[in-house]
Amino acid sequence: MASVLSMSKEIPRSIKLLATLPLNILLNAILIIPFAIMIYLAFLKWSPAMGIDWWEAPFTGISNFIRALSDARFINALANTVTYTVIVVSIEFFLGLLLAYLMLEEFVGKKAILSLIIYPLMLPPVIVASVFYLMFQPYGPVNNVFLRAVLGEDALRITWFLNPRLAFTALIIADIWQWTPFIFLILYSALSAVPRRLVEAAQVLGASSFTIFWRIRLPLIKPLIIVAIVLRALEAFKMFDYAYLMTGGGPGISTETISLYIYRVSVLYTDISYAAAMSLIVLVMLAIVIRLFIWYFFERVR
Amino acid sequence: MELRIVSKALKYIVIGVFALWTLVPLTWIVSLAFKSYAEWRVSYFVPKNPTVDNFVLLFKPQELLGKYGVMGATAIIESATKPLLNSLVVTVAATVLSVFVGFFTAYGASRYRAPGPFTLFFTLLTRMLPPAIFITPIMVYYSNLGMLDTYFGLVFLYSAVTVTYAIWILKGFIDAIPVEWEEAAMLEGATPTKVLFRVVLPLVRPGLVVAGLFIFLLTWSELLFALVLTNINAVTLSVHISKYVGAVGQLFGPQAALALIGSIIPVVIGYAIQKHLVTGFTFGMVRG
Repeated sequence: MASVLSMSKEIPRSIKLLATLPLNILLNAILIIPFAIMIYLAFLKWSPAMGIDWWEAPFTGISNFIRALSDARFINALANTVTYTVIVVSIEFFLGLLLAYLMLEEFVGKKAILSLIIYPLMLPPVIVASVFYLMFQPYGPVNNVFLRAVLGEDALRITWFLNPRLAFTALIIADIWQWTPFIFLILYSALSAVPRRLVEAAQVLGASSFTIFWRIRLPLIKPLIIVAIVLRALEAFKMFDYAYLMTGGGPGISTETISLYIYRVSVLYTDISYAAAMSLIVLVMLAIVIRLFIWYFFERVR
Repeated sequence: MELRIVSKALKYIVIGVFALWTLVPLTWIVSLAFKSYAEWRVSYFVPKNPTVDNFVLLFKPQELLGKYGVMGATAIIESATKPLLNSLVVTVAATVLSVFVGFFTAYGASRYRAPGPFTLFFTLLTRMLPPAIFITPIMVYYSNLGMLDTYFGLVFLYSAVTVTYAIWILKGFIDAIPVEWEEAAMLEGATPTKVLFRVVLPLVRPGLVVAGLFIFLLTWSELLFALVLTNINAVTLSVHISKYVGAVGQLFGPQAALALIGSIIPVVIGYAIQKHLVTGFTFGMVRG
């Protein structure tokens, strides 16, 4: 924003205080101090069960990190999360793009359809998880109505949450149901904002609507495609609610995500220092991705 | 010409299928919520004897659980009244705090580059990381401070993790205000603070509403932090919903009824800010 206000370099003291103080207090008190505690904890061996306070716990160097890297369950959780993220983001991107393309032109009832298909986006994921838990019960509608029409009575014997593959599929279906509208909405907004004159110019030259889409609209919205994919992937990587409610990470640990595993180590097994170390590993991994993304979006262009 | 008609028909079919796929879970939940105990496991969508028992059970579990022969569940499932109120109190308080802090920061960032880009990116970073990363230290920290299972603990945490949305949404709104109006006020001798409160604040009111509703939506939906940090006093609706899943006696009907109740507020809010959803979800990177 080039203006007299911002060009005068000095910032009024009152504004500086208001703009930075409340935010810094909030961030420091609630996020930065715990963050520092986490780094410290990761190098200790501590659990509340030891009967001492965490600052008195013995220092164990990097043993927590070594343990994490040789922990098959940690690797399994990471692999599950990455697989899940790749699958849901790919499918959601494909469906979202298809839908955005189909919805571009005006038609009767478009507003209503648009409002309808974005409502899953507004629902709390915990509710979607609860709903899909009900949908996938052996006598729930998925088996009892839809699959029964295809497979007959056999459909009622499908136990979605007792089979690793099916349990994973159920989670993916819930995610696709809720978050395809997310990608759709971003791409749709971006595509609609492509200047009309570009499209019209191409039409005059005789380009088909598919060519216009592929050659003109899509390249123009590339940065926003990346925003949609990265933000969705980061969200999918967080996935906790669906696994916690629908499968409980099961059967066994076949659908355990990294968030669910950290939650369990931390809250159920109270192995605090180990959970802190795992959190730190995940944080470093993701911080690199996020930093690159922020650089791509905010700094590269300027 | 024929090809055109076929492709047009295909287009409507795809859109129609997608609309249907979006509608099915909703219809099922509405129907299940009004079904009586005997119909929880049947395949038809329209209840034969519609009843509000499931909704009653949510708020007076003791009275109805005996009737279903699942007394064991009374110990686990409590009335939904308290979680509902807790969620409202915590969400409203966290939203107000977040928007309040976010407004000042957004103004500074829009007009004066205070705070600098580092702080802004830091807030983005905290929001993009999985919340599971933070639960361990927050749990330890809060237990040392005595903030576990309190409203304050949840409110501060929720504001801290949503303030970045307030900043980025409001920055967009403030950027759109012509800076000349502020300069005019300054030339007439108004102090910077006065300009902020008397000129900018009234102009940005729609932005405050959008940011507030969006943050309300996110906070209302949050499960993990509430699950870890609450136990008895400050249990939120999300935590309460999670208790129904796999509960003794598999209370499918009440579970559906609760899902329905829990969705009303977020869906109403979602439609109220429908135009701004994209802006919100993308930290203002995409304008809706």
